[in-house]
Amino acid sequence: MADGIAARHEQGHEDLIFAVRDLVKGFGGLMAVDGATFEVSRGSITALIGPNGAGKTTLFNLATGFIKPDRGAVEFEGQSVFGRPPHAVARRGIGRTFQITKALAAMTVLDNMMLAAPDQPAERLLGLLIHPLSWRRQERSIRERSMELLERFRLAPLANSYAGTLSGGQRKLLEFARLLMAKPRMVLLDEPLAGVNPVLGQQILAHVHELRSEQGITFLFIEHDMEVVMNNADRVIVMAFGRVIASGLPSEVRNDQRVIDAYLGAHAEDVA
Amino acid sequence: MTLYLIGIAPFAHADFWLGVGIVAGIYSIFTLGLQLNVGFTGIVNLGQAGFMAIGAYAMAILIVTYGWSPWLALPVATLIAMLAGVIVAMPAVRLRGDYLAIATIAAAEIVQSTAQNAISLTGGNNGLLGFDAAWQTIQVWLLGALSTIGLGDMDQIPLFAVTWITFAVLLAILVTLQHTPWGRVLRAIREDEDAAEALGKNAYAYKVQSLALAAGIGAIAGYLLAINITLIYPGTYSADFTFIGFAILVLGGLGSYSGVALGSVLLWFVLEGARFLDLPLSADKVAALRLLIVGLVLILVMALRPQGILGKREEMVLRG
Repeated sequence: MADGIAARHEQGHEDLIFAVRDLVKGFGGLMAVDGATFEVSRGSITALIGPNGAGKTTLFNLATGFIKPDRGAVEFEGQSVFGRPPHAVARRGIGRTFQITKALAAMTVLDNMMLAAPDQPAERLLGLLIHPLSWRRQERSIRERSMELLERFRLAPLANSYAGTLSGGQRKLLEFARLLMAKPRMVLLDEPLAGVNPVLGQQILAHVHELRSEQGITFLFIEHDMEVVMNNADRVIVMAFGRVIASGLPSEVRNDQRVIDAYLGAHAEDVA
Repeated sequence: MTLYLIGIAPFAHADFWLGVGIVAGIYSIFTLGLQLNVGFTGIVNLGQAGFMAIGAYAMAILIVTYGWSPWLALPVATLIAMLAGVIVAMPAVRLRGDYLAIATIAAAEIVQSTAQNAISLTGGNNGLLGFDAAWQTIQVWLLGALSTIGLGDMDQIPLFAVTWITFAVLLAILVTLQHTPWGRVLRAIREDEDAAEALGKNAYAYKVQSLALAAGIGAIAGYLLAINITLIYPGTYSADFTFIGFAILVLGGLGSYSGVALGSVLLWFVLEGARFLDLPLSADKVAALRLLIVGLVLILVMALRPQGILGKREEMVLRG
């Protein structure tokens, strides 16, 4: 915990985009997240690592409203998103992917993309009544933007296929491209490289770096491959037993004894 | 056992088949609402008959008890049914899958027993009469017009026409809505609610809207049913109505609004056509056999065309 505060001082001059403080969530007797605290600075690529069961995915779900936290604080751009429903968190500007890809199977790839546009008033019945004709113009521009993103992710030839017919890797790309339609300022990726071949994995990472440098999007991603983490993350947050046990530069974290212990399962009591 | 099929001269039974057509049309309208919920939003609404009852009772009570004009009573009763849809939906759509289905069927049962027991309001099991004076006037006028072309004695034609025109109008509205961004969000929720939420769509609000609209559509079916049997009593709006609606949904195909009409016409044609089977059996056995035949047709459709008559096989497979 002292390390977390020290890290915060160290980052004092950086522009914070996202902060989690003393976040707690228990399921019955099990504390899945047990007082997690960390910060993410704007425009960074931050990795969230930790052994299986450390609470990483639960933390994502708490931060994005899919699970209600028991207590603590979650702030995005200085405003609390604690306990807000998922759609409200998404509208604030946080996009996310899921560990098991959620392609909308019986909808086309293009419909998957167009759905995510945040600026279609005809998505509401009232908006539809107010703009009975002009929404089609908006649809055209949304379609254009969708196709541009599909080109970028090399999915354009599949625009009219059902998303359910895509391969696992293509679905990952679609999920990534789709969340960008919503124009997020921060993106949470839950194991973006799991089950993806190395070539596609490199493509996904290249997209992450490009989007950060072009649009300043902040990335927080869960990853198990240490090679990937060390080569791509600016900062690393390490979780174990529902808490953040270390955070810092990849090189610092790599040699941290607590991190090594957590991964090897030794000295569990000392860590807690 | 020998089966005899007596000759069905089509026009000898024209009035009978018009009557069947009316019932098929009313079920088609009713099932449009189910299609919106089940086929396009992914919520299993087993309480549709309850919303139909609320609409029909509200209409009759406003007209008979409060003396409202039917032209005012019809839209207000529709709004009341939609409001009931919202009230049921608000807690129910927070539940998923089977639990939601159970909550909606419970709501319909509450409506049913209220209709039976709130005697001062609903007439209990005696039901309500005398709400259709305006319709009688219209019908007489329409039959007068029909008699000029020699169809004056076909007194089922007016309701048949009104029912199917109503269906066509609702079909057009629903198909149009389905092709809007609003309809796209509904389909996304059907596919994966969490994905839709992660993209900023308030799934809860859409599900409430879907159920409220279905309730309004159910109410419209309820008015036509009430006019058809000239009486409103609780038994008319039992859960059976909803279950037949689901059979129609399976026959016509999930995710197709026009399939609803085909499914309904097929089901009612088979069910009523089976009356013409001349069997050496007692009447109650024949009645049971008719349902059995409908069951066989259902099984046959599911085996040969599991997506239903107009359903898309690919979508069904992808949805798993």
